Amino acid sequence: MNAPGKTEPTEAIARARAGDAEAWGELYREYAPAMFRFCRRALPTREDAEDATMEIFMKLKVKLVQYDATRSFSAWLYKVAANHCWDILRRRRIRQDKETGDLENVPLEHPDPSQLEMLIEQRSSEEVRKALAKMGARARMALVMRYYSDMSYDEIADELGVRRAFVGVVLLRARHELRQALESNTALAAGGAS
Amino acid sequence: MNEIPEGKMKHLDEMTLLLYIERQLDRARGLEVSAHTQECDVCRTLLRALERESRLLTRAMLEEDEPLPSRLAQFQERARRSMQWIWGVVFGLAATGVYALYTTYIQPWELQLEGAGFGGSNLLNLMIFQGAMWKGWQSMLTLLEVLAMVTLAGLGAMFLRRRIRRGSALALVFAGFCTVLAMPAPASATEFRKGDSVTVAKEETIKGDVYITGTRARINGTVDGDLIVFCQSLDVSGHVTGDVLTFSQSARITGQVDGNVRGANNNLTITGTVGKNVMVFEETLTLDANGKIGGSLTSFVENLGAEGGVGRDALLFFAHGSLAGKIGGGVRAKGDTLVIGPTAVIDGPVHFEGHKPPEVSPSAKLASPVEFKQMEKKSSYREGHYYVWQVIWAAAFILFGLVLFALMPKFSQEAVKSAEHYGAAAGLGVLVLFGVPIAACIACITVVGLFIGISTLFLWYASLYFAQIIVGAVIGQWLMGRTSELWPLIGRMAVGLVIVRLCTTIPHLGGWVKFAAILWGIGAISLALYRRFQPMIAPSAPYSPPMPPNTTLGGAVPA
Repeated sequence: MNAPGKTEPTEAIARARAGDAEAWGELYREYAPAMFRFCRRALPTREDAEDATMEIFMKLKVKLVQYDATRSFSAWLYKVAANHCWDILRRRRIRQDKETGDLENVPLEHPDPSQLEMLIEQRSSEEVRKALAKMGARARMALVMRYYSDMSYDEIADELGVRRAFVGVVLLRARHELRQALESNTALAAGGAS
Repeated sequence: MNEIPEGKMKHLDEMTLLLYIERQLDRARGLEVSAHTQECDVCRTLLRALERESRLLTRAMLEEDEPLPSRLAQFQERARRSMQWIWGVVFGLAATGVYALYTTYIQPWELQLEGAGFGGSNLLNLMIFQGAMWKGWQSMLTLLEVLAMVTLAGLGAMFLRRRIRRGSALALVFAGFCTVLAMPAPASATEFRKGDSVTVAKEETIKGDVYITGTRARINGTVDGDLIVFCQSLDVSGHVTGDVLTFSQSARITGQVDGNVRGANNNLTITGTVGKNVMVFEETLTLDANGKIGGSLTSFVENLGAEGGVGRDALLFFAHGSLAGKIGGGVRAKGDTLVIGPTAVIDGPVHFEGHKPPEVSPSAKLASPVEFKQMEKKSSYREGHYYVWQVIWAAAFILFGLVLFALMPKFSQEAVKSAEHYGAAAGLGVLVLFGVPIAACIACITVVGLFIGISTLFLWYASLYFAQIIVGAVIGQWLMGRTSELWPLIGRMAVGLVIVRLCTTIPHLGGWVKFAAILWGIGAISLALYRRFQPMIAPSAPYSPPMPPNTTLGGAVPA
């Protein structure tokens, strides 16, 4: 787990589980920024991310007793967060256009390695974030789960409700969608500049 | 093995390489891929690009580009939990509000209007479909039906889209819509007459409906249908077998009208006979001693003088009213002063709400004494009753807002966002608040524009309430933070609306607060509408800042 990447706050967790509000406050202060950033990447707007962060912590407070202390706390947090964000997106039916197609049957175009390399080299983090915002909910969610919270293929499959073997396809398609979004941003910028 | 042939060398596909860098291949396959990429330049380049893409993605996601919003700085569970019981209270009050509104306003009106010849099972039926309401407007009925059906189709689509997939819902609604429109319409012959002075001669008989526009209109003959008139002066001394719909400066009915008389004039004098009901908006309405109305009389006038007979009930709103004839039913009146003369005969109960008690002649024959209610002054701030009603009104407002937000979630959110453009909203608010009713009234002058004008006025009136709801939502967002989710937004709207309503109850200042809220809100709604119907403009090129050296790949992966 790469974020927040700190030692497990075992003591604070134990105190919070026993109802210590101060300990809960510590946990909140420690993990709220990372949770907010996760939600910000996964959900379409800042307001959504703010609300979702608060809701996730409300859920966490109730669920804290279910946390298995032998496992990573942050991994558990991200699992709850991913579940909550995906629920929000599913409720809004954002997925319907992008995900109802039979993805397995649509062939992916094989990229030109040198062109892909050039595309990647020329892009900044900010451009990637802008491109992410344009992507379909499932593709974005898959990328966030994998590259932000470092969730395993099994966990991603579980969250998205797909077969484990299909997670690679979802991620690859998400990357293709991201590249398209990056290219269209470039084309737009070039068109506007000319 | 998923390999793409190219000449002699078989290349690995992108999926295999992705699974390789993600460590998802089994050991044997991993070794194969590793060996292949050491020999094959193309696959090695692709593998490197994919790895860089992974690093770029991770970095883009982990970068702390936005600080934690201030409202998330502390855990706000208590505030959120408290909303749960607030919701319970709001829904309870809303239900009470709706019930109170129904029993206090709608039901008595329904009963009154039913008695006045507008019998209908419910208000919607009464307003849209009731034949009596639109009788005399027959030639325009097709347009009206289309408008009503479009409105209902829109509402149907909005309701159905939540239950059925959008395409199916639209198909269902439009199929129904087309069926209704395809139903055969009754054939009717309509005659149009226009000129400075239009006369239907005494011996002349017109079969079918007649539209007349001009300076003067005289109906000395017979119209075997409805008569619709837009003119300066109208004189009906002949016989109209249908209804009369009149918009004129001065109208006089000395002849016989078998149907209803409806209209808006400066002066209307009835010395003849109207077979059915009269419903008018006038400055002065005179029912002469010889005049007779077979049905009911509903009037909104400045001065009312009724010396003639009314067959059924009378529903009267006036500044000064005088009743001296026979009324076959009851009277419900509201106005400044009422005089019931010695020749008056009223067979039903008389309710009068006014500033002064009515002057009732002792010789007047009334079925029961006049029930008088002193018109309440608005400044009843000291009465507890006033505050109870304020609470009920606030709940009713919240319910109205809830329905609107649920029906038009996207538009409501757009309107709330537009309200934050204070200058534009206020400017547009002034324009729309004063300009729209003026434009609507002007539109009412023409036949086609009448419906557009009346519909616009209805919408404008409804938007006065919607405006306060939008302002409530904005204030709620100020207090509880922004949101784009529907239910949290409705919650904020409820909280904000309560504050707005509270502010409007402040003595002397409250009226101005309400005016400002309406101005602001109506501007926001107009701005949202304007933006919605504005043609899409291709966005200009976004500013691309010079790329800092550490943003290209090859650097260290952030922790």
